[in-house]
Amino acid sequence: MQRKIAIPRELLVDEELMLPGMTSCQGCAAPISMKIALKALGNRTVIVFPACCFCVFQGGYPYTNLKVPVIHCPFETSAVVASGAAAALDVRGEKDTTVMVWAGDGGTFDIGIQALSGAAERNDNILFVCYDNEAYMNTGIQRSSATPMGAWTTTTPAGALKSEPKKDIEQIMLAHHIAYMATASPAYPDDLYRKFQKARQITGMKFIHLLSACPSGWRIDPADSVRIMRMATQSRVFPIYEVTKQTGAVPGEDTWEYDITVIPEKEVPVSDYLKSQGRFRLMTDDMVVKIQKQADRKWRDLIEKRDATRLACV
Amino acid sequence: MSVKKRSEMAVRYEFKSYRDITPMHVSTGNMLYNKTGSWRFIKPVYEDKTPACQNACPAGNDIEGWLKLLGKREFEKAYWHLKREEPFPAILGRVCFRFCEAACNRAGLDSSIGIRELERFMGDQAVSDTSYPDVLPDNGKRLAVIGSGPAGMSAAYFARYLGFAVTIFDKEDLPGGILRLGIPAYRLPREVVAAEFDGLVRMGVEMKLHTEIGRDISLEDIASTFDYVFLATGAHRSLSLDMAESSGCCRIMSGLSLLQRVARGESPELGQRVVVIGGGNTAVDAARTAIRLGSQVTVLYRRSESEMPAHPEDVREACEEGVVFRFLAAPEHICLLPDATIEKLVCCEMTPGPPDATGRCTPVRKEGMTFDVPADTLVTAIGEAPALDYLQPFMPDTAGRFIETQTDLSVACQIPGKAKVFAGGDTGQTPRTVVHAVASGKRAAIAMDCDRKGLDTADIFRQIQVGDGNAVSFSRYMNWAPVNPVPRNDQSVVDRQKIVYDYFIRAPGIRKEIQSGELRKTGFAPYHPSLTPDEALTEAARCMHCGRCTECDNCLIFCPDVSILDQTRESFGYAIDYDYCKGCGICFTECPRNAISMIEE
Amino acid sequence: MKKAIKGNHAVSHGVRLSRVGVISAYPITPQTTIVEELSEMCARREIDARFIKVESEHSAMASLIGAATAGARTFTASSGNGLLLMHEVLHWTAGARLPIVMADVNRAVSGVWNIWAEQTDSLAQRDTGWIQIYCESSQELLDGVLMAYRLAEKVMLPVMIAYDAFFLSHTTEIVDIPDADVVDRFLPPYEPPVQLNFDDPRMFGGFFSTDYFYEHRYTVQQASQEALNVYPEVCREFNAHFGRSYDLVETWLTDDADTILVTAGAITSVSRIVIERLRSQGEKVGLMKLRMFRPIPVECWRKVLGNASRVVVIDRNLSVGVGGVFAAEIRSALYASDRHPPVYSAIAGLGGRDVTPEDVEGILHSMKVDDPSPDIPLYWGLKR
Repeated sequence: MQRKIAIPRELLVDEELMLPGMTSCQGCAAPISMKIALKALGNRTVIVFPACCFCVFQGGYPYTNLKVPVIHCPFETSAVVASGAAAALDVRGEKDTTVMVWAGDGGTFDIGIQALSGAAERNDNILFVCYDNEAYMNTGIQRSSATPMGAWTTTTPAGALKSEPKKDIEQIMLAHHIAYMATASPAYPDDLYRKFQKARQITGMKFIHLLSACPSGWRIDPADSVRIMRMATQSRVFPIYEVTKQTGAVPGEDTWEYDITVIPEKEVPVSDYLKSQGRFRLMTDDMVVKIQKQADRKWRDLIEKRDATRLACV
Repeated sequence: MSVKKRSEMAVRYEFKSYRDITPMHVSTGNMLYNKTGSWRFIKPVYEDKTPACQNACPAGNDIEGWLKLLGKREFEKAYWHLKREEPFPAILGRVCFRFCEAACNRAGLDSSIGIRELERFMGDQAVSDTSYPDVLPDNGKRLAVIGSGPAGMSAAYFARYLGFAVTIFDKEDLPGGILRLGIPAYRLPREVVAAEFDGLVRMGVEMKLHTEIGRDISLEDIASTFDYVFLATGAHRSLSLDMAESSGCCRIMSGLSLLQRVARGESPELGQRVVVIGGGNTAVDAARTAIRLGSQVTVLYRRSESEMPAHPEDVREACEEGVVFRFLAAPEHICLLPDATIEKLVCCEMTPGPPDATGRCTPVRKEGMTFDVPADTLVTAIGEAPALDYLQPFMPDTAGRFIETQTDLSVACQIPGKAKVFAGGDTGQTPRTVVHAVASGKRAAIAMDCDRKGLDTADIFRQIQVGDGNAVSFSRYMNWAPVNPVPRNDQSVVDRQKIVYDYFIRAPGIRKEIQSGELRKTGFAPYHPSLTPDEALTEAARCMHCGRCTECDNCLIFCPDVSILDQTRESFGYAIDYDYCKGCGICFTECPRNAISMIEE
Repeated sequence: MKKAIKGNHAVSHGVRLSRVGVISAYPITPQTTIVEELSEMCARREIDARFIKVESEHSAMASLIGAATAGARTFTASSGNGLLLMHEVLHWTAGARLPIVMADVNRAVSGVWNIWAEQTDSLAQRDTGWIQIYCESSQELLDGVLMAYRLAEKVMLPVMIAYDAFFLSHTTEIVDIPDADVVDRFLPPYEPPVQLNFDDPRMFGGFFSTDYFYEHRYTVQQASQEALNVYPEVCREFNAHFGRSYDLVETWLTDDADTILVTAGAITSVSRIVIERLRSQGEKVGLMKLRMFRPIPVECWRKVLGNASRVVVIDRNLSVGVGGVFAAEIRSALYASDRHPPVYSAIAGLGGRDVTPEDVEGILHSMKVDDPSPDIPLYWGLKR
């Protein structure tokens, strides 16, 4: 029997909030995530776009392919623009709305991090989504702080591959004590759907880190985009989990519950995941070992935290 | 939403002057005008393919089709769908060698689907059904089937469907051929065979039993009264051991004759120590029959266990019942006692020699490594050949060999009369299994119908070929609708490489407990319990439906360009909006079962 | 109600009375007391506004992109370096046609620190598309905020109220604080031309191709020019409600003046004393106070200044490589006019250095007696 992707069927086939005709590259994973996210969030959603691929390909003026209100904003400002929009909707008395930032890794990890940190610390009622394709793809594949070690980009060319590990944005966000932090991947659409549904119900700062394959930048066949993202999770390079704030009965006793929401039946070594992509073609064995170790460490850490959560629940 | 409707919903904006800049630069339209389909150079298409199981089945049984119907609890539909390609589920559901299960892609995940058990379940459930749907009206042609074994039965069944008037001739009193005379009752109860023949009779097939060609009726007579003749007389002549001592010794018999005698109700007198020589099914069946008759049994096989042609399951069960196997051992000579009874067998250890033309190792003697095997009865089962004496006058070359046929199973022989002659089953050189025999009957029936209509049989066979193998599809010949109303690419086979196992949940197959060997060897009663309906449904649900759309929605969910249009509410499956599909191929890669293909524009 | 309040608090009251929906600000001296007061007002529920306490001025302005697009009346305030940090977003908000109002407490900017008055910060934003109004008194600040919203929401451009650090921001004056209901009549709730609407979802802004961008820029320019026509209307209405009025420029004794002194902001108050004194000595001097600087009220400037035989501009700002910004712009505005008197430029009071009546008188005297070249600014008070 098949693992059924649990997204309510009526949602799947009923009116789409995203239309075809966008100029995204073949196999770009971001529209898959957007499509499913909007199904979970519904039409009372405002999307805030900083500069990123999506803001360009979803439609240049005067066209848009998203059937929800969209606000464009300067690259580094998306989180706080969303804070402003959320404040305005609140003061206007608009209930049951979601203000969602849809930002790339540059707009999150790098240039966007100040505004993001501010909004997170204030616990503004926004949902910040980073669709992470691990480099500046819109400008033509330059390294960002989300680029993994060993990856080729146009600014980390052969002979100067990125030697630093990817920035741990998830830990950074968690350090802000936010209401909800999750990772998700369109390779696991029902998990992604459920997380957006959950985020919709939570007041305060929500952060969802999406892995988003970029066939052009990752040097992969567009058809393999979802398959390789699945491998990212199977290899634990991109574990899928969530951390939910539980408000304590007594002030000061808030806890953060960890749950690993996708535990793949099949495990693959990190090297398989890396080998599947042209951008890692020049990587040294040393780097592969390092990444494997990082992945193992992160997984162990997650298991520990999850188990600690479970113990605390008992 | 239809394809047309979406592109018509494109809203463009007429911009002529700066005055047309909208307040606060709000959008006024959408990108539906941008038909990204123009980017594409390969496109996805939905096409159902041939699952590995069906491809492996010599009869081209549409296993996935009836499992899908069974899964929906449409038992009767499933039963008739099964019988479209494989008419005798109660029989093959017991004795088939399960080429399908060996090929089953599910084994790449956990274990194969128990297809044979499910087929038996289907056969046992519905075997008493009387209505035969869709049988064509009489076409005015008469077919004589010589031999009522599986090949003959099959030819009769399919020919009858095609409107032939069919008469089966068999020299035995009861029909079934090898099914009755070769396969022991504990594997195939006689009433199951009888029931299938009842079905044939209900279809209008005429049975002429106790009628031997050359004795009761001549082949010329048949050839002059009938339009077509199908020779399906099997391979009932046992090959004999080339050992001088064997002549004139009373306790040497062939495996087949032992099985036949038991089948006829005789109780052949066996000694205490029976040695069976051979490694095929006849050898194992003979050994298990001998053990049921109270003897101690040793099987000698000159090759290794893994090279045995017998089915491993049968070998395992034989072991459980107490049969001793000695591999890489061959008899050298028989030591007789003065009263011409057997004292022992002197055997030699063998070792795998150089491979022959087929890649199989020819065993060679290990010089000097001889050993004795005490024995009082010797059963030889080293192979069978067709008994073709009746055909010799018309086809001298056949002596002691087999009937050579064309791809349409027609036979070039000079029998006076109008009939065109075809042959199948074990008379040919094909692998001698029941399902191969059934397959040959189907082929012959279709070939005869093509001949009747003056069609090019080879061309038709190509059109109705199942997968990349030899099987042909009767449904496609009849133009019967498949379970999924979608375009098909039956020549394309879905093997394990094409399955996305990540989408399937591991679930062990149902394995029924059977009686212990000790208990079973006390008689000839069948001991394999049938699946319960619940078990059958659970097992059927394990089918991955390789190559066949199940409307799982993966394509719909993953399409980044919102170009998969759901039509499951109105009809079946999905449509692709080629106005926008960029041909990225994600739907193709993420289809768990390869029911989508990418084709060049 | 008349009350003695600081200039910054006058701004806060203006914001309160304008029933602003979203306030967003980052503290910087000397702007801080505006937002402190607004925080207090929010805490006391005198304003039903959401106050986003952002982590930078950049975010302060950016948050208002979201808030104004989503239909709220918005306010922020900054100063000096803070305003410079906003620069990108100033372009964005004006280009996006968002009617934001901000107060800029003019503070010096350079490569060294200084927190005192200088107008270089706001003048450096003159190409952003923001409407700029320079104020002299606390009353003008409060009234200016109210009028700014009327103007901004009419032409859909943001308005910056600029005034001197400390000299005005921290000086207590008697201010007439109008009643809320009168303000409500003058300033109805904000109704954007396109409301963010979930039932008719639209995209705001986005990627403009070469097919649209030039025309888009032209519409921004047009809106700015339109402000010059709309502003007098706003003044009339304001006058009708409150009995006070503020023109594009304020003139005093210019009709028959040989020499017209041009100032902006707090130096104007000092200059009034000097003009009065010189008039009493029989000198034909007059004063023009710059109020709206973007868009430039060219016709208005030409009308006031055309009849004079000399124009003296005091700039408390420095465009490095040029000199005084106001002087340069006035010169350029007069150039194509039939009558274009020489425009003399004096740089004074940079970084908050005091400009006394004696300084102003000294500048006027020097311009008359030394007859310097109008091309070379007079660096008044420079320690040589």
